[in-house]
Amino acid sequence: MSDDPQNADPIDTLPVLLAHALAMESEAAERYGELADQMEVHRRTAVAAIFRRLEQAEKQHLGNLTEMCSKFELPHIAPWDFKWRHSESPEVIDFTMVHYQLSVREAILLAFEHERRAAEFYAGIALSATDPEVQKLAREFAAEEQEHIGWLEAWLAECGPGDAQGAEDPDPPLCQE
Amino acid sequence: MTINSVSLVIAGSGGAGVVTAGSLLLDAAAQAGWYALMSRSSGPQIRGGEAAAMLRFATEPIMSHDDSFHLLMAIDWDNIGRFSAEIPLVATSLIVGDPAHGPAPAALLSGTPRQAALAMTEIAGKIENGRPNMVALGAIAGLIGLPPEAMQAVVENNLKRKGQAAIDASMAAFHAGFAAAADLPAIPKLPAVAAATEPRWSITGNEATGLGVIRGGVRFVAAYPITPATEVLEWLAPSLAKVGGMLVQAEDELASINQIIGASYGGVPAMTATSGPGLSLMIESLGLAVAAEVPLVVVDVMRVGPSTGIATKSEQSDLNIAVYGLHGDAPHIVVAANSVPDCLFTTQWAVHLAEAMQAPALVLTDQAMGQARAIVPKPAELAFIGQRLTAAAPAVEGERYKRYAMTASGISPMAIPGTPGLTHTADGLEHNEFGTPSSQASDHQAQMDKRSRKLTQFNYGDHWADIEDSEVGAGDTAIITWGSSTGPAREALRRYAAAGGRARLISLRLIAPVQPEKMAAALAGIKRAVVVEQSHSGQFYRMLRAFYDLPAKTVSLHHGGPLAFGPNQILDQLNQLNAGSA
Amino acid sequence: MESCAQKKKYAAKDYKSDLKPIWCPGCGDYTVLNAITRALAELALPPEEVAVVSGIGCSSRIPAYTSVYGFHGVHGRALPVATGLKLARPDLTVLVTGGDGDGFSIGGNHFLHACRRNVDLTYIVMDNQVYGMTKGQASPTTAPDWEGSKLTPEGTGINPFQPLVVGLASGANFIARVSSSDPVNMARIIVEAIQHPGFSLVQVLSPCVTFRPEQQEWRDIVRTAVVDYTDDAARAARRLMTDDGFNVGKVLYKGSRPPFRPEFENSNGSVAELEARFAL
Repeated sequence: MSDDPQNADPIDTLPVLLAHALAMESEAAERYGELADQMEVHRRTAVAAIFRRLEQAEKQHLGNLTEMCSKFELPHIAPWDFKWRHSESPEVIDFTMVHYQLSVREAILLAFEHERRAAEFYAGIALSATDPEVQKLAREFAAEEQEHIGWLEAWLAECGPGDAQGAEDPDPPLCQE
Repeated sequence: MTINSVSLVIAGSGGAGVVTAGSLLLDAAAQAGWYALMSRSSGPQIRGGEAAAMLRFATEPIMSHDDSFHLLMAIDWDNIGRFSAEIPLVATSLIVGDPAHGPAPAALLSGTPRQAALAMTEIAGKIENGRPNMVALGAIAGLIGLPPEAMQAVVENNLKRKGQAAIDASMAAFHAGFAAAADLPAIPKLPAVAAATEPRWSITGNEATGLGVIRGGVRFVAAYPITPATEVLEWLAPSLAKVGGMLVQAEDELASINQIIGASYGGVPAMTATSGPGLSLMIESLGLAVAAEVPLVVVDVMRVGPSTGIATKSEQSDLNIAVYGLHGDAPHIVVAANSVPDCLFTTQWAVHLAEAMQAPALVLTDQAMGQARAIVPKPAELAFIGQRLTAAAPAVEGERYKRYAMTASGISPMAIPGTPGLTHTADGLEHNEFGTPSSQASDHQAQMDKRSRKLTQFNYGDHWADIEDSEVGAGDTAIITWGSSTGPAREALRRYAAAGGRARLISLRLIAPVQPEKMAAALAGIKRAVVVEQSHSGQFYRMLRAFYDLPAKTVSLHHGGPLAFGPNQILDQLNQLNAGSA
Repeated sequence: MESCAQKKKYAAKDYKSDLKPIWCPGCGDYTVLNAITRALAELALPPEEVAVVSGIGCSSRIPAYTSVYGFHGVHGRALPVATGLKLARPDLTVLVTGGDGDGFSIGGNHFLHACRRNVDLTYIVMDNQVYGMTKGQASPTTAPDWEGSKLTPEGTGINPFQPLVVGLASGANFIARVSSSDPVNMARIIVEAIQHPGFSLVQVLSPCVTFRPEQQEWRDIVRTAVVDYTDDAARAARRLMTDDGFNVGKVLYKGSRPPFRPEFENSNGSVAELEARFAL
């Protein structure tokens, strides 16, 4: 990672933008799915449901995007050559950011933070790109992320006081192998 | 008819050339058309310790040493008394010593053997570069009827690189000794054999073990040096390289067993060889091979235990660890070789069994047969080749592969890494058919049944035991034995028959899984049996008692190592059994 | 950025199995699994030509979570299994995964000799300084004053094992330390480790959220190493001697020792030739 990868080599062509979007959306869908799996394995059904809904939303987004990408020949970009500000793509929640007793509210806030990052990522491209088509598409993508943010805000508003409580587990961890 | 043979020992301290002399004598006997068996015993030193080469020659194949020796040829007496228990001498035996080294130690005289002097040092001193051990060999040749031409050929071959002068000096000393034998008291002479009537091999048990695994298809060996198994590895290292295989010296036995598990998982038949202490270290991973269903062969060249025990001497006391040592219920194969040449048969068979059943096979041999060299009839060609049931493609396109699929035979087609569409994880955790870890009782039951079924349903044919009757039939008496004790038992049976007795020898090659039906058939009509084994606690007898219906009158003849049974000890037991029943 | 000509044949998820990991949410091992699959995808290795071998422990569960050939053996013996597999099947790409207890305690001797032997393996050790599967006991890399286990209530009082120093001294041909807070860079380094001939050692600082929750702070403590790799073992050793264990994200050492590979003679020698030596 360079300090400011976006400035080093701006995203200024449709194939490069699409390659980034495709990577980010597929990784986000996959990660939300994995987090939902983790929480299900550990019987955290309420939190799992949040991640599962987000997975579904990302998959839908991904479906549209994949169709769009099929019209282009996308460059191959190694995971570490993407223009992300963080290690992984902005929309993807780091595995180590969650924990076993994550509350519903915490999960929504985490997702909120990452959807916001994704929106900012696209908005940044819309500003920095010189190609009008790239600017236009980036704005569209940013708007979609804003839509997710809107949902999350709604979910947050729906949260009851209990949703702020992390899951309780009076039992100690168990021995395995 | 009993075997017409002559038994002798060459003994001396380090530097006397006893080991070399024994080898030359064995080679010369082979030249002369005889059959032979040679064992060695030595002091604890790496170099320079006292040593003894025990040889038995016959005009027909032999599998055992005799109860006593006809001749002890001592080049000197330094510490030779230490071997007295391993060198039984009787009144008809002859000790030949060099007066330059004083009288024979008292420990060797308890059987009141005859004694004679041969001035080996003095005779050798009169020959330029003459050596006392060659004088001794000459005298032995003269005493037992070994033609000097046989030794000439062997010496020429052995000393080729040292030049003609060395050959001449050696042979001059040999002839001087040969001439001197005329003045020594007589011991039995073997008749000269005109020409060998069948192709013969000169081979040690450890070499035969190595050849057996290569014949079976093993191409990867990982091992850690340990006495008395090291020679298996020393033979295998260059031999494997010649046939496209490899031997890796591992950092310890934990590594050797796991390296061969890795190689075998990769589809290359693999083995290791070790002895008791090494086997102890391998046990946990043998269980892994059972659970993950990885075929492999582990040869245990048994030595005296427990712990470091007596590393250079033989015992049949690893039976229990081989059969019962694994934790959990862990069905696996245990086979045992019962002679020097049988090391070849049994290890080759073990590779076949392991590969066919995708299970670990332990082969028990021991120091006595492993480090013994024998002149034997050329072993037969065997059809056993390691062949694994492999999976080539998913049964149904796109269907997930079941590594541990339930089958009637219990054997599941095994996907070898590299095969597309069949990736899976082999696991030592209990698992379901896919190999996915499972703690379900039903999965454990099903996988245990399968791992057990594949071994119990397998057709082992007639190889499970060697069953031999005296010429006039089995009668109602049996000797039940295994491993190295089979040699003296065979000879006891022959002596018993020569005296008019009738008996059956049952030597188990397949120790586990047990074969109750076959044993019942083998014991049909048998009313008395003696169980013979070289174990202090009678491990084999107890195992037989646990799994087989033995005749009402069954006695256990057992003692710990390092002394082997002599044929007459077993014969006496047979006679006692029958005396009691008469 | 590479040209369009080099098309990616596999996605990271093609290397994941359908099995859901049993690791605690927040465990660093999720990141390692992710990085391994990214690395394999980047190398475009057909899944059937890759094997992942492990012993026992949380991190040793990785093989079953991949869609490549896997072997999950006994505690501490992953390296010998992998050694045998790679020597017998040099055509396969063999990775070894495990934890600090598996690799440096019960399997410590194999670690030394795997470094020495330099077989072409990639060993990824998830170091969380604790035994997770058995409820959080001190491991060989645990600090001497950690009092979190009932087995060692006063701390172990013994110095932690230094895997990279020992690995370097023992002959590892490639050494790197990465943090589970940077999965993408971890993937890059795993790619390099796989591509580098010989024995590659990758230490991953992988927090145990359940038994060492304080390790979640590692993400803020770690720093990207300031210097690039050296091929000089003495220089690498000096760096490690002044290292606090939190310099991550770069390769520390790349050696040039040829990998151990006993040559198959491939002489078409026959068994009959071997037997002939016994004939009289």
